[in-house]
Parts: sequence; structure tokens; C-alpha cells
Amino acid sequence: MKLKDLKINQKAIIVNCQDKQLPLKLMEMGCVDGVEVTLLNKAPLGTPLYFMMGDTRMALGKEIVNELEVVLTEDDVKEKA
Amino acid sequence: MSKKKLKIALVGNPNTGKTSLFNKLTGLHKKIGNYPGITVNRVSGTFKLDDGTEVELIDLPGTYSLHPTSKDEEVVLKELLTNREGIDGVLMVADVNNLKRNLILLTELQDLGYPVMLAINMCDEMAKKGIRIDVEKLQELLQIPVILVSAKKSKGNGERKGKGKIHQMREMLPEMFKFSSKKYFEYYGLTGTNIDFIKPDFPQENTYKLWLLYTEQDKFKSLIDAHYKQILELPLDHSIVKRLLQKEVVKRYRDINHILKETYHIDKRKATGLTERIDRILLHKIWGILIFVLIMFLVFQAIFTWASIPMDWIDNFFSQTNIYLKANLPDNQLTALLTDGILSGIAGVLIFVPQITLLFLFIALLEEMGYMSRIVFLMDRLMQPFGLSGKSVVPLLSGTACAVPAIMSARTIENSKERLISMLVTPFITCSARLPVYTIIIALIIPKEKSFGFINLQGLVLFGLYFLGFASALLAAFILSKFLTSKYKRYFILEMPEYKAPILKNVWITVWDNVKAFMFGAGKIIVAFSIILWFLATHGGPKFKDAQKYFQTEKSAHTNTPSDLSSYKLEHSYLGQMGKTIEPVLKPLGYDWKIGIAIITSFAAREVFVSTLSTIYSVGANDDDQLLRERMASERNLVTGQKTFTFAVGISLLLFYVFAMQCFSTLATLRNETKTWKWPVLVFVYMTGTAYITALMAYQFLK
Repeated sequence: MKLKDLKINQKAIIVNCQDKQLPLKLMEMGCVDGVEVTLLNKAPLGTPLYFMMGDTRMALGKEIVNELEVVLTEDDVKEKA
Repeated sequence: MSKKKLKIALVGNPNTGKTSLFNKLTGLHKKIGNYPGITVNRVSGTFKLDDGTEVELIDLPGTYSLHPTSKDEEVVLKELLTNREGIDGVLMVADVNNLKRNLILLTELQDLGYPVMLAINMCDEMAKKGIRIDVEKLQELLQIPVILVSAKKSKGNGERKGKGKIHQMREMLPEMFKFSSKKYFEYYGLTGTNIDFIKPDFPQENTYKLWLLYTEQDKFKSLIDAHYKQILELPLDHSIVKRLLQKEVVKRYRDINHILKETYHIDKRKATGLTERIDRILLHKIWGILIFVLIMFLVFQAIFTWASIPMDWIDNFFSQTNIYLKANLPDNQLTALLTDGILSGIAGVLIFVPQITLLFLFIALLEEMGYMSRIVFLMDRLMQPFGLSGKSVVPLLSGTACAVPAIMSARTIENSKERLISMLVTPFITCSARLPVYTIIIALIIPKEKSFGFINLQGLVLFGLYFLGFASALLAAFILSKFLTSKYKRYFILEMPEYKAPILKNVWITVWDNVKAFMFGAGKIIVAFSIILWFLATHGGPKFKDAQKYFQTEKSAHTNTPSDLSSYKLEHSYLGQMGKTIEPVLKPLGYDWKIGIAIITSFAAREVFVSTLSTIYSVGANDDDQLLRERMASERNLVTGQKTFTFAVGISLLLFYVFAMQCFSTLATLRNETKTWKWPVLVFVYMTGTAYITALMAYQFLK
């Protein structure tokens, strides 16, 4: 699952983020494997997307949310079931 | 401490309240200089410790790490790496809400071997957010002094008596030298690059410094002494280095997690989520955009309506002073230079200060409250097709006041292509200097009545001109984005800070910095030009020197001689001759040599157009525009007998002023920011070219 597929308020965990050719700044700002991410909002034209990434609120453009992989956290899966 | 003077660099992530803390620590003893070769301000301030040690605090731009992604951030790396002897230690400011991320930068600073002290800011929010920090333990694990502060809350009696937190923080600074700074990088074992081969050549050097020089080598060409040359010339495989850099970040996070696990506790249930709730409205698909439009409307309303009141005061003050000086000083060249040259030049600068102040007041307020990032978020997708970023909104918006600070504000745009395009198209935006020109020409050629009973035609045309400026900026951006290539892929990463009440002192400081940039950047050039133009207008060949004699004889001989002496003199001054020289070029646009003079003088600042025409048409400087308008309306071409300012000429002039690059200050700023004359020359050519062609077409079509 990609980051872009999250629904608003859905929680997930970042995985495999080192395998992508993504800017170093992303990791420096706290987007590393295992960090919990929640989608807070979408911009009126679809992107950027606005997340709570660990302790940091950040907006990411489509070139990043299309690349980054996530897995849904367990409580989220339970809620769905 | 034996040393009586300390130089401390203030470093931290953006949005940590670093600048507030700087202002609190240094009071008003601030000094603004420039970094050599670049125009980013170097702000420093001084204060004294109780034992008499003088501390100079250098406020470096906010950054997330020592790997810069924008021009601002580059300053931090360069200052810390190449000025090691000039800096004794670092004061690092961190945000209590984001401690983990903030400490990445801290570990990098420690790796560079700097003595560091950590100030955790915004601690007033800790209780509210359920955060607990074990400061003692944190000091022990990081091996540096740590203090909890709140820049917002530290004021009042306690501080004045020298008992407050800020005072305590100042006194604590020398403690950083008692610790031997911890190292992380050396244990990461990041190998597999070319640097491994030459590391033995630098046995004395800090490993992390060599690593930074190697990985950021493109930023140091020409900056560092020959000693390091071989590092900068090492071949670098970007994909390998990037992997290692990513690994480095992961390892740093691992170390930090270990430290914070024992010292930082947060009770998640206490998180209020206020910012998220506000964002749900301010970033809403409909409400969010509506509120944004409303705020923009308010900003423009302020610039055009409120600002006109102080602008009238300034205008009156200078014309009264001028009259007074002329009446009371001996009538000679020196007085003329003082009044018509220098004073009117200064007036031409100060008249824009109210608009620029108001605009930056709004921008600084929105920035302080955290809304600016939301504008960037809302606008990014819209700006993308034009090769611009959401962050280009700030320069484009500031451009409505003055292009000089607007171009400088593009520094925060990370992608070099987007930054360049933003700077190159900002001069198209209708700045406040164009407004007086528009006003007088619109009044001349557009009837004052209302169409359909409610639309003010004059207002509509003015709006059209603003729209034209904005549309051409976007079009130019679109075209430029097709021709310019970018070394780096575009990435959009933006921290969305928490909403907070603005600290008015910070707002005021930002406003003042920008107003100063205008007054002393653009202002210097405007005053210089106005003195040169004054000289050209008051000196001339033989016909000028003996104007009295020639005027009398010519007046009786020809019919096409101007009606009074002062316009006759202007015609034969150097400036008049210049106007006549360029007349053939301007004739197809419908302009005569008098308008030509006004266009030449506009290069000082566009609004000089109006005062030049006043001189040409012998309207006293103290009369209002009404008289000038009447005089212009009745002006006729002496050969053909037709009106000079017809509808066609008016439209042609308006279009010329929308597009033409007539501001030397803007070109000089572009040169400063891009380090080459290539871009300002390009801007001059394409803007003035567009101006000429559109004005030509309009005139030929409408005449």
C-alpha cells in the first residue's frame, strides 16, 4: 500500500523508505521506517497531502506520496473488521 | 573562562522560536551584516555575562540538518564548516514538541566537535501536552548542558532583575566548554566511498567535517582553502553516497531514540489536536479557499486604501519642506541639488514605505501565526503547471508592493529552478511604483462615469492592469519552465507548524528588516538616479546655457516653441536631447520626445514619470494632479495639431508600463541573488521587448 492510498484519519506505519530515491530531507524530518503516520487532510486539488508523521505535521507532494510504502496499523485493521 | 569574548552560533530547526529567543537574549543590540558574496543577512547581537565576558550571538537561518536544501540553509553549513576558528560554540534551540527530530541536528553539531548547549523552547506548553523531560538525565546522556525555556513567557520583573530564565540561560552558556562533546558519526562505520582512500591524509581532521566536505562538495568550490582541494575533487557516486547518508540518518534516530526513551515522556491522551481542528476549516475544499480569498482581499484593501493616508502625509511633508527650503536658502545650484535632486529622490523612496510596511506586516503576521504554510499547501498544485512552487506565492504577493524585497523572499524555495523562475517573473507583478502612472493616465483617457449604472470603468481598467501583470507573470513562468532545465527533481516537503498567537515584537522586526531592505537596497539606487537625472535636466549645451537669449529670439521666429522658459530649458537640457534622440524609436508607439523624457526618468523609479511630466508641462510641484491632468489633456502636437494624449496613446502607455522593465533596483537585486548579469539582462530584454511590441500593436490598432 502506498502513502497516497490512506484515507483521512487512517493510521499506518512507514516501511522500506530507504529503498526509494527520495530526498534525504524527508528522513531528516522524521520520515523513517517504523514511524506512525496519519493522513490529516488533502489539498483542494488532490495533492499535496497533509500528515502527522511521528511528532511532525508535514505536507508532502505527489512525487513522494506515490512512492512511499506503508502498512496499516493493527488498531486500524481491527476497526474495519 | 580566561577568554573575555565568546562567539556563539545560534542554530535550530525552522519554527522552533529561535528568532524570538535570539531577540530575548540580545535585547536590542542587534547588528545586521552580510555574508561575503551572498545577500542573506548575517544577524548578530551581543550581551554581557555577570563576570564581564562579552558574548556575540550569531543567528543562523533555520535548518533541519547540515545537508542544505535551500540557499538559506547553505549558510549554516558554510558558516559552521569554514569558520571553525571564528565560532567558540553553538547554542541549539529545539522545540519541545518535536524533540526527536530536532536532536538530529544536535548530534551533527556534536560530531563537528563544537561545544553545544541545548535550549528546549516552548516549555510552557509541556503541561498542557502531557510532556515530561528528565533534564538531569538528558544532560548526562547527551553530555552537554540542557535548559528548558519559553521565549514567549520569559518577560516582566523576573528578567529585569536578572533572575529570570533568559538570564539563567545566558549565564549557563560557558558550561558548554566543561563537557567534552560526544561523537556519534565515528561509530557508524559508513564506508565504501572514495573518501576512505584519502582519510589517512588528514589525520588531525574531524572525520565528520571531511564527510560533509565530501558529500556537499559542490557547495564549497572556491570557498575553502587549497588544503582540502583533493576532497572536493574526489569523484562522487551520488546513489552510493545517498544510501550512506540515509543510513546515517537512521543510525542517528536510533541513538536519539535510546536517549529519549529514558528522558522524554509524553501522555498522548493530553494532546489537544487544536491545530488539526483549525486546519479542518482553514484547509477545507470550500471554506479554506474562501477564507484565503478573503484574507487576500483584506491585504489588498489595506495596501490601496489605508496606505494612501500616510502616503499623503509624506507627500505633503516633502513638498512643504521643498517650498520652505527654496524660499529660505540662496537661489543657487546647491539649493537646487538639495531640493530637486536629493530631497525629491528621498521623497520618491519614502512614499512607498507605507504600502511596503503594511504588506510585510500582513505577511509577517500570517507567517508568525502559521498560516503562511497553509497558503503554500493550498496553492502548490495550482502553481505547479507554471513551473512554480506553492512557496512562490510569497514573492508574487510581495511583488505588489516592491519587487526588491519580493525577489529576496524567494530564497526559501528549495528547488533551484522554481526559485529562479519565481525571481524572474516577479517584476511583472504590478508594484506600487506603477500605480501613480496608471492613475494619471486612466483619469486622462477613461471616462469617469459608470457603465450599466454600477461598474466604475476606471476601477475596472485598473483591475485589468493588475490582472494583466499577474497573468503575464504566470505566462512567463510557463514559458521559462519549458526552457530551463533542473538538476534536481522537484520535491514538495513542508512542515506545517502549529497555529499560535503572533509575538508582535517578532512581527515588527521582520517588517523592519524588509522595509530596510527596500529603503537601503532600492532606495540608494532611486536617490542616486534622481540626482543624476536632476543633473541631466539642469545642464545642457549652448542653447541651455543662454536659454534666456535663444528663447526670446526663437519664440518670435517659430510657432512650435514652448510657451515658457523652464520648458524651453528642459527641451535643451541633456535630458531633453536624450528624449529627442530616442523619439524615432518611440514614435511608432505614439509618443513624442516629452513622453520619451518621462520614460527615461522612469528608470529611477516608475512613478517619476508623473513628476517629470509636471516639469515638462510647467506644472508647479505643489499643484495637485488635477492641474497636470488638465494640462496633459489640452496638450497638442505642435506639428499636426492633434491631441498628444489620445485614447490610443494612453492605452499604449499603460501597456508599456505594465510590461517594461524600468527599475534598476530590481535588476541589481536580481544580479545579487543570482550572482550573474545573465538573468537581469534576460529579464530586461524580454520585459521591455514585450512592452514595446504590445504598446506598438495597441497604438497602431487603435489610432
